[in-house]
Amino acid sequence: MKTKNIIIFSIISSLFLVSLISIWKILATLQGIKLDNLNFQVIFLLGFFISSAQAIIGNKLNFIFKLIIFSIIFIFIDGYLIQHMPIWYNIGVFLILYFFINKIKKFNKKILEEEYSTQIIIFDFLTLFGIVLFSFVILFPFYMMVVTSFKTQIALLVNPLDFSINFAQGFKDLFKSYFVIFKSYKFGKYILTSTIVSLGTVFITLIFAIPAAYAIARLNFFGKTFLSTSILIIYMFPAIVLVIPLYTVFSQLGLRNSIEGLLIVYTATTLPVAIYMLQGYFKSIPKELEEAAILDKLSWFGIITKIIIPLSIPAISSVALYVFMIAWNEFLFSLMFLDNPNSFTLSRAIQYLSGDAETPRQYLMAGSVIVTLPVLFIFVYFEKYLVSGLTAGSVKG
Amino acid sequence: MSNIKFSNVHKSFGQNKIINNFNLEGKEDEFLVLVGPSGCGKSTLLRMIAGLEKIDQGEIQINNKIINELHPSKRETAMVFQSYALYPHMNVYENMSFGLEIEKQSKEEIQKKVLRASKILKIEKLLERRPKQLSGGQRQRVAIGRAITRNPKIFLFDEPLSNLDAALRAEMRVEISKLHQQIKTNMIYVTHDQVEAMTLADRIVILNQGNIEQVGTPEEIYSDPANIFVAQFIGTPKMNIIEIAEEHIKSEKIIQVLGNELNIEDIKLKKRKHFIGIRPEHFKISNETKFKFTPEIDIIENLGNEKIVYMKKDNHQLSAKIPSGTKIENFFGFDLKSIFIFDENGKRVKG
Repeated sequence: MKTKNIIIFSIISSLFLVSLISIWKILATLQGIKLDNLNFQVIFLLGFFISSAQAIIGNKLNFIFKLIIFSIIFIFIDGYLIQHMPIWYNIGVFLILYFFINKIKKFNKKILEEEYSTQIIIFDFLTLFGIVLFSFVILFPFYMMVVTSFKTQIALLVNPLDFSINFAQGFKDLFKSYFVIFKSYKFGKYILTSTIVSLGTVFITLIFAIPAAYAIARLNFFGKTFLSTSILIIYMFPAIVLVIPLYTVFSQLGLRNSIEGLLIVYTATTLPVAIYMLQGYFKSIPKELEEAAILDKLSWFGIITKIIIPLSIPAISSVALYVFMIAWNEFLFSLMFLDNPNSFTLSRAIQYLSGDAETPRQYLMAGSVIVTLPVLFIFVYFEKYLVSGLTAGSVKG
Repeated sequence: MSNIKFSNVHKSFGQNKIINNFNLEGKEDEFLVLVGPSGCGKSTLLRMIAGLEKIDQGEIQINNKIINELHPSKRETAMVFQSYALYPHMNVYENMSFGLEIEKQSKEEIQKKVLRASKILKIEKLLERRPKQLSGGQRQRVAIGRAITRNPKIFLFDEPLSNLDAALRAEMRVEISKLHQQIKTNMIYVTHDQVEAMTLADRIVILNQGNIEQVGTPEEIYSDPANIFVAQFIGTPKMNIIEIAEEHIKSEKIIQVLGNELNIEDIKLKKRKHFIGIRPEHFKISNETKFKFTPEIDIIENLGNEKIVYMKKDNHQLSAKIPSGTKIENFFGFDLKSIFIFDENGKRVKG
């Protein structure tokens, strides 16, 4: 039982190490290192040795000693003897090993003797695999985008497959594309338009969605069930079906090329999901709270603003985030309705630039980075509000 | 100083009649307990007083003023919910002062009222905390405190102790009793727990399926129940009911119960089916009792200070509660004065 567990543990953890080191090697090739092969066998054997040594030694040895011994062995064999790597590569390997040994340090003899330790090992490493591979897949295109935006026209033409960043060219040259798109392509204006449209959509959607969701969640009125189930019907129509009739209508109303027109369409498309998400949350708020509020002489409006909204901050912020992202990234409607560069949104502007054969690729990529970054930052910032459980303590224990 | 009066109150949800012609007149500043099995409409009644439920028919008066159409906030009642219903995003002080702030009372006034209420309930040290940082008992105190600050004419309690554990419940029961002595106001308390009803109430209203079964002080309810439902509802274990077939009614005065012929004075019995009720605590193992019977004993539960004996006699399942020191013999006895006679519809037959 024990040896079996040690072997399983060593195989899984060394596979994990192989994938980490391979990703690092792939990234290193992008920085100009030439590699004939990834040396899977050597890494696997070394990983197997490290993890079984860890399992046998356990915690008898200080963590730092273990780290130093294992990583010196690893780097000496893999990085120096076999492939002759530069220092910065080996520092990266050292950091990976630090992470790896830190991860496996809890698996000592005692844990591996337990019946269920195989399950723990498999699930532990499966999650790690998932996280590492997923982030690699997600981050790699973004990395390419960033790298390309930092390049010059010549560098791109000379070697399109070179994915390294040349930090030697000063700050000004590095960010040249960004300066250019703001200066000569008026990206500042596009950002402003996109921001106004997105925030406006969030604002209008919430103003309509909160009372509507409250009504569906709490009030009784004729046709309530029909209304609440038919809210999502708008999603039965593909957007492209709606675009053409809307185009004619908007043309006649003079809403084309205007922010107002976009606001109307975006609000209409995001409102159903917003209502649907919010009413589910509102229903989960205990009814007694509102009854207590009624007895505290609060009006309906007061109940919504003073009780429901403060308690639904997690739901409202996730709805706001969702609506913002939809509006910020929306492309089809802006493509159809906007043809005057003065009223372009960011995504429409990128399309406009890419349609132009003379626009260099690094400017496009710089523009794409600018489109992506705000959503990323907003998501990271709002994420803490998405934690539910704000109603804890209101009713029962 | 306030009183409440119900006249011909009806309430139904769809086809279900919940409250059926409810009439009751409360006395000034009394502690009224509405008790009954679940689904008997007691909570609905309370919510109708608070204004959270519409009154279908009839009227409710507070101090001779009809409140049917008054907005809940204008009825000068305060309600304590079973689930506390504290606002989770406010601390204790804000929870207690919320209603006053909406009324736009002055800061000093609010502070005075909140501090007074928190002193009564001994929660002065908790004012800065959020509800989720409080224990169940503390939350219930805060909920009561919120009611006190509103200075209502009538306090409404909707099963306020049923979420607490047994020890805490006993403690809070005493607290609520003290509270009533301290602030002499009308309190209406809904519960399904007969112990709460018996210990807290000035008067108990026993409800069953929307009808009043009996109204009375705890002593009256215990010693003079109006029907089998009331008799069995109050007291643990519940009262033994023995069905007496027609042929066991020997004459207008003589009835045969558990093999004994009882000679009843001051009541004339009809030649019909009857029911005899005897409380478990009135069965005695003693030679001084007038009537005796020998049961088959099934199980004896020892509760420490007393024993509960489950037994059988002539197809009647009976239970008896005796002091634990008593030696169990093969007979049990009872006296004439401890029996209750009910007619075939379960109504009490009295002289």
